[in-house]
Amino acid sequence: MQVPGLRRLFRWRHLRTALQIPLLIVSVAMILDGLLGPPLAPKNLASTLSWVHFRGALVLVLLCAGNFFCLACPFMLVRNMARRFFRPRLNWPQKLRNKWLSVGLFALILFCYEEFSLWSSPWWTAWLIVGYFLAVLVVDGVFKHASFCKFVCPIGQFNFVASTISPLEVKVRDLEVCDDCGTKDCIRGRRAAGPELMVIQRGCELALFQPLKVGNMDCTFCLDCVHACPHDNIGILSRLPASELMVDPRRSGIGRFSQRKDLAALAIVFSFGALLNAFGMVSPVYALESWLAGILHVNSKAPVLGVVFAMFLVVEPAVLLGMAAWSTQTWGGSRRALVPLAVRYTYGLVPLGFGMWLAHYSFHFLTGLYTVVPVTQSAFARLGWTVFGSPRWTWLGIPMRFVQPLEIGFLALGLVGSLLVIYQLADGDCAESPLRAFVPWAAVSVVLWIAAMWMMFQPMDMRGTFLAG
Amino acid sequence: MIRWFQRAARSCSFVRFKRHIRNDFRRGIRRVRRNRMLAEFACAAMFFASGCRKPVAPQPGVAIEYWISPQPHRVGPAIVYVNLLDAAGDPIAGAHVDFEADMSHPGMAPAFGGLREAAPGRYQGSLEFTMPGDWVVLIHATLPGGRKLERDISVPGVTAN
Repeated sequence: MQVPGLRRLFRWRHLRTALQIPLLIVSVAMILDGLLGPPLAPKNLASTLSWVHFRGALVLVLLCAGNFFCLACPFMLVRNMARRFFRPRLNWPQKLRNKWLSVGLFALILFCYEEFSLWSSPWWTAWLIVGYFLAVLVVDGVFKHASFCKFVCPIGQFNFVASTISPLEVKVRDLEVCDDCGTKDCIRGRRAAGPELMVIQRGCELALFQPLKVGNMDCTFCLDCVHACPHDNIGILSRLPASELMVDPRRSGIGRFSQRKDLAALAIVFSFGALLNAFGMVSPVYALESWLAGILHVNSKAPVLGVVFAMFLVVEPAVLLGMAAWSTQTWGGSRRALVPLAVRYTYGLVPLGFGMWLAHYSFHFLTGLYTVVPVTQSAFARLGWTVFGSPRWTWLGIPMRFVQPLEIGFLALGLVGSLLVIYQLADGDCAESPLRAFVPWAAVSVVLWIAAMWMMFQPMDMRGTFLAG
Repeated sequence: MIRWFQRAARSCSFVRFKRHIRNDFRRGIRRVRRNRMLAEFACAAMFFASGCRKPVAPQPGVAIEYWISPQPHRVGPAIVYVNLLDAAGDPIAGAHVDFEADMSHPGMAPAFGGLREAAPGRYQGSLEFTMPGDWVVLIHATLPGGRKLERDISVPGVTAN
C-alpha cells in the first residue's frame, strides 16, 4: 500500500463492495445457467467458470498476492445486506470454536466433487453455489461476527492455509503507534455517540487483534481493520512467502500453531487432499477403484471412494507423519512428544501441497483460458442477445506443451518451499542437530513430491461413470 | 372539544405507553408478516429452481441411428456412423451433418468434423478421441428444407491405448 494509486484504492471504504457486486452478478448468472442452460459442462457458465476459471484464478492470485478472493467474496455481500434486516443474536458455540467442522466440510466437498462428478454437472454446481449462499445466510444470520468465514467456509479454510504462502499480508506498520492507541478500533470497531451506539466502522470480525496478529491465517483481507484504524497504521505489506510457517508465536485469535491439532488436520487435508484431488483425474485411479470394488463386493462408488479418501487423508498421513515424528524423536533428539512433534512439522508440508494445487488448477485454467468467451457468447445468444457474435467453440487456451513446464516449476517450488520451512522448524526444535530432525520430514516431502510428479505424467482420464470401461 | 380531548389524551403518558405497546405490536405483526413472506418466497424460489430444467426438444419425426466404432472406445481415431430416417423409416438423403466432440470436463480441447453421405441416408465421418475419459458427441444435422436437429451421444469410458 505504499504505491500511491493502490494506497488510495485500498483505503476506499467501498472497495470491497465494488469488487463483490460484479462477482455477485456473475454468481447469479452461473446459478441461472447451471439450472436452465445446457447440461453439457463445457457449454455451461456454471461448470466452466467454477471448475476452470475460478479455481485457477484463485490459486494464482494467492501465489502472487494474497487472499483477495475472500476480500471480493459475493457471499459476504448478501450476508451484509441480510444483516440490515436480521440481527444475529448468538455467539458461535464455544465447543465449535475450532477448525474441526471446516476440516470435515473441506473433505466433504472433495468427496462430493468425486462422488457426484461435479465437474461434469452444471446443475449440481449451481446447487452447490445456491447451498453456499443459504449456508452463509443461516450461519451468519444466527451467529454474530464472521462465524461462517472463521469456522465453517471450506473455500475460506483453503484460502487461509494457502495464503500462508502469499507474499502480501495485512499488518501493522509501526507497533509503537499501537502501544499508544487507547481505543483499539482495529478490533473493537467504532460506534457513533448516542444511546443507540450505531456501528460506524466494524472492527475485525475474525477476532484478529492487529498488534498481535501474525500471518494470514484466518485473515479474509476484508480491510475492516484498515478502515477502522484512526492512525492509518495498518496496511497490506509485503513479506517473505511462507515465513509465518517457520515461527510459532502466540497469534491473536488463533494461539500457537504447534498447539492447534485442528489446524494441523486442516494442513493435512490441504496437502494430502491436493494429491487426492489430482489422483481422481488420472487413469490409475480407475484400476484402483475396480480392484477395491472387487475386494469390497460393491457396485456403487460411495464406499469405494470412502476407502480411497480414508487411505489418502487418514492412513497415509498417519503412517508418513507418524514415522517421521518417531524418527525425529529418536534420531533427531527432539524433546517434544510424538503428537505435538507431528503437529509442529505438519505445517512444513503446506508449500508442497500448495504447489500441487497450483500445478493442477493452473493447468485447467491456462489450457482452458479462452473457453469463457464462447460460453459467455452462447449464454447471451440463448437470451437472444447476439451482440457478442456466434460462439467460437474452437477457442481454448494455452497449448499443453507450454503449460507442463509451468506445472513442473510449481511442484519444484513447492518442494523447495517445504524443505526450507522444515529446516527452519528443525533448527528451532533441535538446535544441536537440526539436520537429524530435518531429514525424516524432508524425506516425507520428497516422497510426496515424487508421487505428485508421477501423477502429473499420467494420462488424464476424467470419468463420471463408476466402473465404466 | 373532541379534538382537545384527543390532544390531551395523546399527551397523557399512559396513553403514550399504550401507543408504544400498540406500535410495537404492529411492528411485531409486520415483522412476523415480513418473515412469513420471506420464508414463503424462499420456499417458492426453491421449488421453482428445483424443477427448473431446460425443456427437452420434442421429437421432430426424424429418427437418428448412430454408432461409433471401434468398440470398446479407445483413444485415437474413430468412425462415427449416423443414419437419418424419416417417420416412415425411409432414409433421408442430402442432409448436411457435422459433429462436435467434447469431454465431460470443461476446458478440454473439443474435436470438430463433418460427416459425408456414404449411402442415401447414411453418413459417416472420422473423429479423434484425444484423451481417455467421458466424451459427448454432438451431432448437428441440417435436413433438406432447412430443418435442424441435434442429438447428444454419450461416449463414457474412452480408454487409453
